[in-house]
Amino acid sequence: MVPMTDSYSSLWSLTRGERARYAGTVAALGCASLSLFATPQLAKTALDVIVSRDLSTAPSWLAAPAQLLGWPITRSLTDFLIMCGVSIVTCAALSGVFLYVNGRLAARASEAITRRLRDELYRRLQSLQASFYDTADTGDLVQRCSSDVETVRTFLAADVVEIGRALLLLVCATPILFWMDATLACIALVLMPVILVFALIFFRKVKQLFEAADVAEAELTGVLQENLTGVRVVRAFARQDHEIERFGQKNASFRDLSVRLARLMGVYWGASDFVCVTQYGLVLFFGAMRALQGDISLGTLFAFVTYETMVTWPVRQIGRVLTDSGKAVVSLERLREILNAHEESREPAPLAERAAGAIRFEHVTFGYDPAKPVLHAIDVQIRAGETLAIIGAPGSGKTSLVRLLLRLYNPGAGAIRVDGQDISHVSRAWLRKQIGVVLQDPFLYSRTIAENLRVGRADAAHEHLVQAAQDAALHGTIERFEQGYATLIGERGVTLSGGQRQRLALARALLRDPPILVLDDSLSAVDTGTEAHILRALRARKGRHTTLIIAHRLSSVMHADRILVLERGRLVQLGDHQTLAQVEGPYRRLLNIQHDLDADISSELHALNKPRSERISAP
Amino acid sequence: MQNDDERLDGIDERASQGRLQLQLWRRLYRYTLPYKRDLLRLAGFALCTATADICFPLITKSVIDTVAQHREHARIWPQALAFLGCSLLLSCSVAGFIWAGSRIRTHVSHDIRRDAFENVQKLSIAFFDHRPVGWLTARMTSDCERLSNILTWAFLDSVWGFTVMLGTAVTLIVLQAKLALCVLAVVPALAWLSARFQKRLLISAREVRRLNSRVTATYNESIQGVLTSKAFVREQKNLEEFQGLSQRMSKASVQSATLSAIYVPLVATIASLALGLTLVFGGFELFGGAISAGTLVAFMTYARGFFEPVEQLSRWFAQMQMAQASAERVLSLIDAVPEIQDDPEVKRALAQTHSPGLAADGGKAGIERIELKHVSFAYENGRPVLQDVNLRVRSGETIAIVGPTGGGKSTLVNVICRFYEPTSGQVLVDGVDYKQRSLAWLHSNIGMVLQSAHVFSGTILENIRYGKLDASDAEVMEAAKLAGAHNFVMSLDTGYATQVGEGGGRLSAGQKQLISFARAILANPRILVLDEATSSVDTETERSIQRALGHVLKGRIAFVIAHRLTTIRNATRILVVENGRITETGTHAELMAARGHYHELYRQQSLQESTHSLSPALLMS
Repeated sequence: MVPMTDSYSSLWSLTRGERARYAGTVAALGCASLSLFATPQLAKTALDVIVSRDLSTAPSWLAAPAQLLGWPITRSLTDFLIMCGVSIVTCAALSGVFLYVNGRLAARASEAITRRLRDELYRRLQSLQASFYDTADTGDLVQRCSSDVETVRTFLAADVVEIGRALLLLVCATPILFWMDATLACIALVLMPVILVFALIFFRKVKQLFEAADVAEAELTGVLQENLTGVRVVRAFARQDHEIERFGQKNASFRDLSVRLARLMGVYWGASDFVCVTQYGLVLFFGAMRALQGDISLGTLFAFVTYETMVTWPVRQIGRVLTDSGKAVVSLERLREILNAHEESREPAPLAERAAGAIRFEHVTFGYDPAKPVLHAIDVQIRAGETLAIIGAPGSGKTSLVRLLLRLYNPGAGAIRVDGQDISHVSRAWLRKQIGVVLQDPFLYSRTIAENLRVGRADAAHEHLVQAAQDAALHGTIERFEQGYATLIGERGVTLSGGQRQRLALARALLRDPPILVLDDSLSAVDTGTEAHILRALRARKGRHTTLIIAHRLSSVMHADRILVLERGRLVQLGDHQTLAQVEGPYRRLLNIQHDLDADISSELHALNKPRSERISAP
Repeated sequence: MQNDDERLDGIDERASQGRLQLQLWRRLYRYTLPYKRDLLRLAGFALCTATADICFPLITKSVIDTVAQHREHARIWPQALAFLGCSLLLSCSVAGFIWAGSRIRTHVSHDIRRDAFENVQKLSIAFFDHRPVGWLTARMTSDCERLSNILTWAFLDSVWGFTVMLGTAVTLIVLQAKLALCVLAVVPALAWLSARFQKRLLISAREVRRLNSRVTATYNESIQGVLTSKAFVREQKNLEEFQGLSQRMSKASVQSATLSAIYVPLVATIASLALGLTLVFGGFELFGGAISAGTLVAFMTYARGFFEPVEQLSRWFAQMQMAQASAERVLSLIDAVPEIQDDPEVKRALAQTHSPGLAADGGKAGIERIELKHVSFAYENGRPVLQDVNLRVRSGETIAIVGPTGGGKSTLVNVICRFYEPTSGQVLVDGVDYKQRSLAWLHSNIGMVLQSAHVFSGTILENIRYGKLDASDAEVMEAAKLAGAHNFVMSLDTGYATQVGEGGGRLSAGQKQLISFARAILANPRILVLDEATSSVDTETERSIQRALGHVLKGRIAFVIAHRLTTIRNATRILVVENGRITETGTHAELMAARGHYHELYRQQSLQESTHSLSPALLMS
């Protein structure tokens, strides 16, 4: 396959594969212009014949088509006029057909290119390295994929055609004008450069104001969206007046910029209309003088005047269109930043379809910015089927560990092995198929619950869905929805609570039944009763998956085979609950926090309810 | 097929497109009334433009006639002068109508948007439960622009279009009645065709827009869910689905473009029919000397002249039909009456000035006691969420609320904060039903921290300061320290000046909670609500917050919803809320002793269970 980047290096390269259609567009446009130009010629002939009152001056070619068709043509006025009328309508219809062909071809060409561009952008966004998203802003990326693509599309669909039309009209009209009368032709074209240059200069000048208005509108929308998403905060702090004022300012500044822009547009269109009308006037009056002197016929004067109206408008458009094409170049440049970003590499998949699930971190050091490592020489071996809990304060590197395991990032030093194979040498798809992960902030697709679950395993039968949902303590919740598993979630459907989202993400991962299960702080929004249920279900699956649990609650981690404590990116403790509870260290501190409470409660209960508390604390 | 918007608001787009609902437009036209003078100017400029448009062919006619008569010493400078005058009139009036029209358009759009936004700020929280942000945003941005465009330019084009058509018709009839019929005969066909096509054009353009917003939403989803897609190796499947969508999009676009590629040439051909007819019949007349050459030329020019006004008018007519659903939606935002709002009595009180010690509504400023008497609450669909809740809270008390998910904990808090009002029963604040006090007063006394903490884009400093807009930097930092946020903020390269990104995207869930906690502390509210406020924070950080909390809660009324029971142990009282009822209430020790649901919850947290496996040495420590 041709490297894709080449196809997007310029607007011209974008048209690859569609150039034949564009050529057809140009040809159709040329034919349309020619048949359009026949109309004034016909009217001119008719006028000249009638005014001279001499039917013998009627050109014989006018009758040719009719004679070919075998119609009885006489040299009468009636036949002559009907011939003219029919020819005019035929020419218009002919030009209509050509215009249709032109429009259809241009649409198909531009839409095909745009579609290719859209698909390629989407493909890229999915396959780019995760580090691309460290610095990227969702809003900005979406903006590029929507409005920048739209700018390019408009250029390809409308602007190219518009420029082509104006140029073709000029190219076709000029020889005809000179053929009719050279002096008048010069006059007819004298102001064209002025119209063109004036438009060019003007649109270049107001470009900045246009951009400023766009920015103002974007800011207005931004403030609006923030206000609406944060509506509960606004209410809770009674900040409506503050918000109204903030919005009012943005609203007013957008309005004022629009008014300023409109003022300039008013001046431009007024002045430009004046120049165009003046051009028309020049032809009319100079033409009239030449006609009075007998240099040209009345019909020629009429033809000139008509051509003038046909050509002026497209020429005037060129200025705007050229400015827009400048925008298209900038937009394509912005899109190229996505199209040229690094994709994830592709390695071959190992032979075994399913891994056993042994994981080994070998002196793994990693930093999003290599100068600032967030993980230092992490070295740990996890047996297949083992449950390892990871705890640590925010920023201690827990999530980074998960990201490395998924090979969203590559370690700066050291290696990670799954079943003894260095994961940087195996295919990412294979690796990720071995892992069922519940991310800290789970992402759900705005589809039905069943479809979201099937992201875990596409071919899962309904009873498997139910089983996974039951294990994640979600089945009851789903059943309470009117449409059950077919309930649509997200903006267009029901909104799930934080806990429900986490449980759905968990069910999705469980459904996959992977050799390796990773839970990244994925029970934080779940209440304790539900948590206990889930943990029980997970324990029942023990041995089926190698499990990594990142959690804050002691209850979630203490039953793990081993517990790993991270502090500022370093492994500070590793061992089972019994062992770690014995030694001084962060885990013991954590235990103590909960234990102080426990001891308190025990004594409370002791005072209140002696026999019960004795039963509880007895070993 | 129902689209998403219809499903959300029940406004049936097809039904509303049926015919022109004049009362809707009359209501919107009221927005132009403050700009009456601009509207008059706009009409004036439209008339001038139309006049110039009609005069140009007449001047051409006169020039042609002068030429055709071949008189000695023929003068054409009077026509040249007239032409110059007309040119000036045209260019000035074009500039004029753009000015006046844009002024009206931008102001009307601004005003509609302002009214909608201000009203939306008053609407009850329940209003937002079923209306996504995207829906509301679209109403106040693109819909406002679209409506104000229609209001202004449809008005301009109507005045201009009717004047041009009427003026042209009169001129033609005066020039030559018989020939005029040839031109006018084509107009109905033109109008009929335009009306049919314009609507279809708009419908297909809307289909393209709809698909386009789907495409945009899909991009958005692909970016936000990129890690999940990678983790589940969904890339290929997602791409295939997207390709299906982009194919439909491109098909619809080609269809839409094809439709206009048919329409424009078709109308041009019909217009040329008028030209042909004029030439044939006019040729006879000219030959016979019944009309002058100039008249024939003028007729041929006018034959084209009907083209544009008919097209414009039918386009605006279709636009208005299509935009009626938008109009209804925007007006529904402006007209929506807040379910919860200040009593007329309270509004009167707010208008007066009161002595400094009192609140703006003339009531007591502080809050000492809250009492719920037989409070029940049900959502619109009738399912009861709270039933006969009774509660008394004094300042200084911390009330912990526990219970299963969906039991009504958050609803209870929302009712106390008057985000929802009880369907029956009363909430008394210092003995006064809170419906007799102002909402702003109550809300300004509340600080709230929610589980899904919302932060606005901007810096951390700005976000915390939202709690108290005039707080000094030192005050902000003090609050951050109390909330346990200071340490992580200082560890960031730019500290408090760090930009948090859109929706706080650059912060973790725990960090967002800490910031919104600091914000609530800074607000120094009488009532503090913590709804799962530290669920994403690690145990040690939470512990330090717990320590600070004792200080923070002193003298306030606090409601704490939490799953981690350790968080709520120290509460003055604990409520167990199940199925919308308070089933247990008491201190931690009392509830433990009672061996009810709370006891069970506590046990489930497996702390007791864990003591079995703990070494005796640790238990002793």
